Amino acid sequence: MDRETRDMLLETADRFFTERCGRAVVNEVEKGVWPADLWKEIEEMGLPLIAVPEDKNGVGGTLADMLALLRLAGSHAVPVPLAETALGNLLIAAAGSEPKPGPATLALGNLTVSGGRLNGKIDRVPFASVAERFVTVVGNTLAVVSAASAKVDGQPSHAGEPYGTVTFDNAAAEFSGASPVSADRAFELAAVMRAMQMAGAADKVLATAVEYSKQRVQFGRPISTFQAIQHMLAELASYVAATIASAEAAARDADEGGLVDGGRFSIAAAKSQASDFAQRIAGISHQSMGAMGFTHEHILHHYTRRLWVWRRDYGSETFWGDKIGAAYAKAGPEALWASLSASKYAA
Amino acid sequence: MSIPKLEFPPFHLPAEAEALRAEVRSFLKETLPKVKSEDRFASWNTFSPEFSKALGKKGWIGITWPKQYGGSERSFLDRYVITEELLGNSAPAGAHWVADRQSGPLLLRFGNEEQRQAILPRITKGECYFSIGMSEPDSGSDLASVRTRAEAVPGGFRVNGTKVWTSGAHRNNYCIALVRTSGQHGDRHKGLSQLLVDLKTPGVTIRPIINLAGRHDWNEVTFTDAFIPESCLIGNEGDGWLQVTSELAFERSGPERFMQNFYILRELVRVLGRQPAKRASSILGRLVARLWTLRQMSVAVAGMMQGGKSPAIEAALVKDLGTIYQQDLPEIARAIAESDATTEEDLADFLDVAQYATMMAPSYTIQGGTTQVLRGIVARGLGLR
Repeated sequence: MDRETRDMLLETADRFFTERCGRAVVNEVEKGVWPADLWKEIEEMGLPLIAVPEDKNGVGGTLADMLALLRLAGSHAVPVPLAETALGNLLIAAAGSEPKPGPATLALGNLTVSGGRLNGKIDRVPFASVAERFVTVVGNTLAVVSAASAKVDGQPSHAGEPYGTVTFDNAAAEFSGASPVSADRAFELAAVMRAMQMAGAADKVLATAVEYSKQRVQFGRPISTFQAIQHMLAELASYVAATIASAEAAARDADEGGLVDGGRFSIAAAKSQASDFAQRIAGISHQSMGAMGFTHEHILHHYTRRLWVWRRDYGSETFWGDKIGAAYAKAGPEALWASLSASKYAA
Repeated sequence: MSIPKLEFPPFHLPAEAEALRAEVRSFLKETLPKVKSEDRFASWNTFSPEFSKALGKKGWIGITWPKQYGGSERSFLDRYVITEELLGNSAPAGAHWVADRQSGPLLLRFGNEEQRQAILPRITKGECYFSIGMSEPDSGSDLASVRTRAEAVPGGFRVNGTKVWTSGAHRNNYCIALVRTSGQHGDRHKGLSQLLVDLKTPGVTIRPIINLAGRHDWNEVTFTDAFIPESCLIGNEGDGWLQVTSELAFERSGPERFMQNFYILRELVRVLGRQPAKRASSILGRLVARLWTLRQMSVAVAGMMQGGKSPAIEAALVKDLGTIYQQDLPEIARAIAESDATTEEDLADFLDVAQYATMMAPSYTIQGGTTQVLRGIVARGLGLR
């Protein structure tokens, strides 16, 4: 979609999330309540179909449009699998099928497929307990499995979202076909998706801490007027800026380079970067907000806990750091600058 | 919530700039093997007139300036690519660095025609070098408190006072000195002007200030009744503050703020060998990812500047993050080198190099605006002050 259309969509979605996705909704999800109405409205707006072509009844946006929307969703802690469903639908459509409605998630990991049947177990699948179907890429096959054909062992994440272990025991796929991307690539796309959500959450953490510092009065003045606090928040801003800049650069490179292998290095670097600074962002924001920010009552934890969980999802800084480090070591010292300046594993 | 959005719009360096990169790279490949390795480690702090002249011959100093002054009227992004190639390949680019980055652009913007014609072509040839005369014994971060006085006398100014931390003054041709031309010390930024000072002027004395690593980069420059002709006033009398603040913007977000000790990362790759264990490779990869991020941020700022914006807060954030990365780098590197180097001999050499980098590291968060000054700028941008 063109820039203007995207901005309009983001503006509408921002208003919608602000109104319909407040503290109470996020807290209810943590108690195990599925916000069926919220999901229905999100579907009515077409958001899970943002990157599905119009001829498959989608919105017709690009990967970049989808990632921009997910950054926004990250800044509202939207407690439903919008990201996972949107990426799953993109892949299903690219495999030539038309996505069905309902919340879905990605089951990426060590599975086998044979004769349209799946086997294997994957831990920490986001929204496993509420997803109506699982989208996976195994070898050259993209498969969609209905929740009825899978066994789900719910283990909420530390951010209170309904994660879980998914077991496929000779599970029949409701759709299977040639995958538009490799299994590794599906994982990369999921990583850039999380990195953009982390950018959104990081942005919200900064805004929350800055706003709080202006409201909170101690020693007769807003704490924002203390230089100690000003410098903490400026440092926080630098980590947030790094998270946003790297995620946006990876989103651009993934989009411009094409679905099959665009921005492979940039995605690895961005997810490493976002995961690396998640703790600094959470740590400084909590310190600046004192006991208030440590309560369940306050919304800060909706974002800091997600940052802590999301840094593990789809590859931590150690996972992606190893990918980059192993490739750069193999290419040797003289290739370092040429590779880095070309945003590539080896140039 | 109404805080300004921090945005670093991803920016592609244009094709012409990338084509220039290839040219610069092949020039460096030919030239650099002749340079001593310790000089390469210090990169933009290494003074090599020979190298600067060779670079000038290629037309790569003052590349953005008008042709009439020896420039090539190429874009700011072309200059950006040259800068990062010099750093990425650890070229000894110290002699012309300040002249190319800020003194030349200052003269171009505020200087008179005589100054431009006399000096800019010489800078572009790589044979005219500049020092920055801002700091004083009692004026560091608080630059507006400078005390060096330029008193109007027939035909010019009589200057008295002392400048410190004046890098390269002992071998450079000129210094641009921030001086008080009117008013009192307490008048802050009113009454300040900048003078183009030939460092051989009678009454200008240069003494070394040796840094903790034993290097002589800095100097103390004392003015004792030094006569500076009126033709050496830069721009209008009283505009000094406006000039230095615009100079500092040039100084902050460039790649030298995160690539000054790039050689440590390269040497780390060397000592870890081609197949390091996972612990070492993951830490190496995280360092690479941080550097890549800084480059994306810096290129984004360059893109914004090219687009006519003045992203002062974003530039301050790049310097803050970049200089702290440069301080983390040798510390992290020495730990994994010690556990994962492939040979004892390589390790010993690397630890020496890393130790040297550690000794130089305190300067990164001081020069060109301390971390604390930068955080003050960012805090203002966040609406906190």
